[in-house]
Amino acid sequence: MRLAFVVQRYGLEIAGGAEYHCRLIAEHLARHARVEVLTTCAKDYIRWANEYAEGIETINGVTVRRFKVKRTRDPEKFAAWSRRVFDESHAPGDELRWLEAEGPFSPRLIRFLQRHAESYDHIVFFSYRYYTTYHGVLAAPHKAMLVPTAEDDGVYRLSIFPPLFRRPRAIVYNSPEERDMIVKSAQNEHVLGDVVGVGSALPAQYDPARFRDRFGVKDHFALYVGRIDRNKGCPQMLDYFLRFRRDRGSQLRLVLIGQAIVGIPENEAVLPLGFLADQDKWDALAAADLLIMPSALESLSIVTLEAWWAERPVLANAKCAVLRGQCLRSNAGLYYSNYDEFSEALTLLDQNPELRHALGRNGRAYYDRHYSWEVIEEKYLRLFSIIARQSAAQNPPATRPPESARA
Amino acid sequence: MSFEIQSTDVDVEEIMRLIRKRIEEKRQGLYTDEEIREIAEHRLDAVLDAHEFNSDLIDDFRSSRWNFRFDPRTIYESSRGVVGRLLESTRGLLRPVQKLFWNPNPMIAALSRQSDLNAFYIQIFHNLVQEVTKLNLEVQNLKNRVLELQGRLEFQIRREKTLETMVLRDEPADAPPRPREEPRG
Repeated sequence: MRLAFVVQRYGLEIAGGAEYHCRLIAEHLARHARVEVLTTCAKDYIRWANEYAEGIETINGVTVRRFKVKRTRDPEKFAAWSRRVFDESHAPGDELRWLEAEGPFSPRLIRFLQRHAESYDHIVFFSYRYYTTYHGVLAAPHKAMLVPTAEDDGVYRLSIFPPLFRRPRAIVYNSPEERDMIVKSAQNEHVLGDVVGVGSALPAQYDPARFRDRFGVKDHFALYVGRIDRNKGCPQMLDYFLRFRRDRGSQLRLVLIGQAIVGIPENEAVLPLGFLADQDKWDALAAADLLIMPSALESLSIVTLEAWWAERPVLANAKCAVLRGQCLRSNAGLYYSNYDEFSEALTLLDQNPELRHALGRNGRAYYDRHYSWEVIEEKYLRLFSIIARQSAAQNPPATRPPESARA
Repeated sequence: MSFEIQSTDVDVEEIMRLIRKRIEEKRQGLYTDEEIREIAEHRLDAVLDAHEFNSDLIDDFRSSRWNFRFDPRTIYESSRGVVGRLLESTRGLLRPVQKLFWNPNPMIAALSRQSDLNAFYIQIFHNLVQEVTKLNLEVQNLKNRVLELQGRLEFQIRREKTLETMVLRDEPADAPPRPREEPRG
């Protein structure tokens, strides 16, 4: 079986959600098939500048074929098109121009797909909202499997996307909430689909004491892992946490791991550590009392799943339907939609180690049941096999007509 | 916490229900700041819509579309790109000549102050809407509590009268007469 993965960026340095998701899936499916990744030369998702060399390279045993981005993103032009398509009445053509302005604008990648789609059995596209996926699916819908990684941010409701969700052979959703959202918008019940998600690159071992010694953290603490950004709900989390400490007289601290985009208040209760290596992150998860996940827009929070694998409970933003659904299905996390709920839930977790352990154990069981690599790989392989059977039924291997019968 | 969570068979839905109940008990019908903000915005919408105003007035005022910025350089600026920069330089060069005809400084100072005041008024207006809504809700809440207390008081009076009647009816005929209460004052 030959598989192609199409994604907007690809590389070991790229920590973005969908890109990391794609790399993990590609590397794991490489054990079952010949895998090739088709991507751009871009490293940065703000401008999509060509930073990697064009051509073929191998990353962790997977062949990666890179294509140049023809035009970098002009942020002002993109903002103007965004205003147009999200705030004003507009034509579908404007949405296509918005998509082109968003990028990565790589017509070479699309031309390659048009010419070589037949040399792959299946082409898996990641992130519905990018130029490469939209035009790639349209170039080879009969081979396409789409992993939308859609969030409830309204983009999926633009008029160009519902038809896109009706084109591929199969759709791999990250959560039942994402599936419901897309099916409701695109009326694509007839498209084969499954809720799969992604596993994680799990460590061989982790050591909470190593984290405490290395970073001098002696107290109990809640952990946040990810970009410290407004879009991730971090200012609200910091505000709620400091209010909680003041109101409840708690000694709990908040440790932040990740690049800070917004300002972090200077307070002894908050400890920003910046970007850490994977092993340090796992050690931190093992040392933490709980993980706080404040983002209201998540298609699937990998770090939440990692916390559950490490048997840590999660306190999630209830405004994200996916996170709320995950907490309820796993019985491994509480959630909040305002300060009062945040404060009560955090107090409960802070003061009740038995509850934390019980939730953590549930989290681990949920992870093993749904997100172990055996389960994920099996779900992908099952979808490929169904598509292959459907294709065989639609196009039975007919005996070649004799030369004389051809036009 | 006033409620216990069993660590075996944890049910997140049930815990969340208990958390909400606990919050409700604490609040006793009062609104959180966030709810007041939501209600305030909603009510502002209703008032403004009724008068055919833009319901996103506050957000609109805060957005960059409304340019409240005014500083001493504003009257010499141009937005025409390269040509504009040339125009700005020319205006700068001609500034001393212009000052021979009139003195723009008092006007610039007044408009700068007005620009600051405009931004300030928007903030005050927004806060006032929230405060008035909050007071309105509190008054409504207090009214309800007064009505509830009045109801309870009337019930207690009726109960007291009933109990007094029952006591009088149950007293035996040969019981000693109750001491007469001395009038006070």
